[in-house]
Amino acid sequence: MTQAGGHTERVRQRTHEGFLRHKGFLWAQVATGLCVVVIGVYWLTAIRLHEPPSGGSWLGYLLGTMGAGLIVWLACLGVRKRVITAGHYSLKAWVSAHVYLGLSLIVIATLHTGFQFGWNIHTLAYALMMLVIASGAVGIWAYATLPERLHGNRGETTRRQMLDMIESQDRQLHELAQPLDRDGAAVVRLSIEDTDLGGGFWKRLTGSYDDCANRRALARLRNLPSPTSAKQAEALTKIEQVMQQKAETLALARRQMQITAVLEGWLFVHIPATFALLAALTAHIVSVFTYW
Amino acid sequence: MAQDFQLKLITERAGGGDPIVRERRVEGPQASIGRGADNDIVLADLSVDPIHARLRFTGPGRVSIEAATGLTVEVNGKAVPRADLSAASRPVVRIASYTLAFEPGEGEGVVITVTREADERHLTPSVFSLQSRVFGRRNMAWAFGSGIFLVCLLVPLLAVLWFNENKLIHPDEQWSSGPLSTAHAFLESDCKSCHANAFVAVRDDACLSCHQAGESGPKALARAKEAGSPFQPLLVVDHAPRERLSKGTPLPDGIGAKISTVIQRAVGHPTDRCASCHIEHTKPTAKPVDAAAPLTDKPTLVVVNDCQSCHARLKMRLSDTELVDTPDWNRHPAFKPLIMTAAGPKPQFQRVALTSGPQERNGLTFPHRMHMDPRGGVARQAIELGKAAGYGSPLDCGSCHEAKGVGFRPIEMEKDCGTCHSLAYARNADGSLKLLPHGELQKVVDTLAGRTLAAPGGAGRERPGTIRPTMFAASGASAYRATFSPGGTCYDCHSINWEGDVVKMAPVKLTQRYMPRGAFDHSIAEHGALGKTGKAGAFKCADCHKAQTSDRASDVLVPDLAKCSTCHGQPTSKIAAADDADCTTCHAFHQPGEATPKPGHPPLNTLRWTQMMSRRPGA
Repeated sequence: MTQAGGHTERVRQRTHEGFLRHKGFLWAQVATGLCVVVIGVYWLTAIRLHEPPSGGSWLGYLLGTMGAGLIVWLACLGVRKRVITAGHYSLKAWVSAHVYLGLSLIVIATLHTGFQFGWNIHTLAYALMMLVIASGAVGIWAYATLPERLHGNRGETTRRQMLDMIESQDRQLHELAQPLDRDGAAVVRLSIEDTDLGGGFWKRLTGSYDDCANRRALARLRNLPSPTSAKQAEALTKIEQVMQQKAETLALARRQMQITAVLEGWLFVHIPATFALLAALTAHIVSVFTYW
Repeated sequence: MAQDFQLKLITERAGGGDPIVRERRVEGPQASIGRGADNDIVLADLSVDPIHARLRFTGPGRVSIEAATGLTVEVNGKAVPRADLSAASRPVVRIASYTLAFEPGEGEGVVITVTREADERHLTPSVFSLQSRVFGRRNMAWAFGSGIFLVCLLVPLLAVLWFNENKLIHPDEQWSSGPLSTAHAFLESDCKSCHANAFVAVRDDACLSCHQAGESGPKALARAKEAGSPFQPLLVVDHAPRERLSKGTPLPDGIGAKISTVIQRAVGHPTDRCASCHIEHTKPTAKPVDAAAPLTDKPTLVVVNDCQSCHARLKMRLSDTELVDTPDWNRHPAFKPLIMTAAGPKPQFQRVALTSGPQERNGLTFPHRMHMDPRGGVARQAIELGKAAGYGSPLDCGSCHEAKGVGFRPIEMEKDCGTCHSLAYARNADGSLKLLPHGELQKVVDTLAGRTLAAPGGAGRERPGTIRPTMFAASGASAYRATFSPGGTCYDCHSINWEGDVVKMAPVKLTQRYMPRGAFDHSIAEHGALGKTGKAGAFKCADCHKAQTSDRASDVLVPDLAKCSTCHGQPTSKIAAADDADCTTCHAFHQPGEATPKPGHPPLNTLRWTQMMSRRPGA
């Protein structure tokens, strides 16, 4: 018995349990149960409601209260994650609940609308909520798949090492270019000074670096007039080699950045949309009761 | 001392710490500056040309610097191709990332301190993360959040609370949860017209300001017009006083609805408001009943409590009500028509159950049986009068009761009885008949008192009630006595008493409506279509009204409920003309005594002011 127990312990320790599988999909079950109950109650009740289904019926108020409470609680993850604790209410548990209860909002809020949409603050709040959930879904996918790809991409090289490699290659280029004339030096300077490793959001996301300075420098290097001295000729050959090495390092680093951009990019929608949602939700609730 | 350049080459250590200082002397009078290794002063920066500039002594402690063709050097912050420098003024020359600081040296030489600006641009791994100064997560979050808060909440709220009269922009329109029905669409941007007070549910005052019937009717119409309504509002009343309605209404069926109602009442959202049943800002529940008059034309009607839900056990909630509890059609109380108990200018009425065989006191002597007997004298006379006079055959109901709308025009003596029961009492000079006034006894008396009788030529067969001139010829005083005596004009139909010489006549008034709390539509085909083109098998008058066997005008000829039950409440298997026994068929919520209009009726378009105007004669 004890042996068996010990064995189980070891297996548990070895297996990493992500936020998605936390406690055997406990929160997935809770969220699914919630959705089933809510859909069932809606189905049984909506047809018997005296008025057309809307947020203003008793069921509508109930679903609306649930939805608003959930939204506020889900948004609190931003506060919770800055506080480090462990145990039953560990951050992992929170994230797990955040993900699954967040997804259940699709059902709760949609039923709350009674399928009535329009160009108004109420539908804006709904649309923002769906945007938050959709971006969150991208986040789940990203967190579930990308770290592996990130690791596969960089191999044994750390990010720090990548940067060091580029800097060292720049130094090499600098040294090698010393014998060159003005034009030759300008080409090397282009590679050293103008190469932008990352770039903007879209550049990182799409990984399109056609205008990369190092790439242009390489092209121009090959078109330089023939060197006047053997020393220069040797320098140019070496410079071309180093620039090609640099191009490879850059490609590796940029692939890292691309994956990282996807991994982090959804938060650029998720977080601002959440704040917009909280504002729209407040406006939705206050306006409903102002013009009761 | 010779003119020489005393160089101090300072190199910063990459890892920090004291810089490395190397000193060297270059013999004058000139020295070259450049990236090339063979220069006197080597500046290992790719921005520097292999031979970039040249220094030359121009005097003790004075040097000139001259850049190679096409190049410049930066002297004291200014880019120049050449410059004369005096070491005493400690000039600073910059070439690319290098700084050459001049100062007087030993003898006539100058000291040149060469330093290189360290390149501090080291990449950190954070470069792998997405970062944006302007579109950072935090910035965007606050911008979007506060933007929506401002535009969608604060501005409209301020407009609602403090700038009520603003007619130009309506920031609160974005709060509308759905479109208004066509009837109310003109109020779309005027939220306050219904939502009068913030945080207070729409009250009936707002609705009734345009829809109140009765005395306030004209005012309501005027207000609707002023508010810009293209339609004439339907005016309504409640079918009982408001507080009695509220008291008599139970909680709706269903646990959820019950809880909801209790909570709504508790938090100031009562469920007995106009807006509780007439719902706006929502899409209609079901397909429109009538495609030509869809419900969206008017607010969606939601029936929370139907008739039975209140009237099934009304006595329990309203102990002083006179209404009988009516849980269903089968328990509908027997008809209690409104019977005239005293005729006259101010007739008195009383509701009497049909089952008790009520007799009316309308003051009239009128046997239906005699008039309708197809072989009697009346029938004979009608035939004799001929088609030209509107008769020509034995009398039927339509001979006197003329259809109008869903019922009949009131009986008029002159028109409906006068052809036989002539009011003529004399002839004018031209031979035309003089007629007694009908309706006021005194006028009749006055007319008779002031007249002289002329002997008529040849007396043929007299019609019943025709004044017999021979009688009046006897004496003036007896003239009217004869009129009010047996055989006289009035005596046939009126109850007459004499007090000495003074005639007393019982006042006559005919009941126009026996069932003022319910509507019966005679014009429906199944109901006989007012005798016009009734459906085959439809009711005829005699099926419901036993006039042919009635000898007295006091007989109440209203049929009983059982007659209605022959169709209403019967299954189709039993009778083809079966119909549901829906309360609303005869009783309207907002128009007691009228039938409930079908949803969407009257069609909205018929309520347009412009149409109303154009239909008005002369408009």
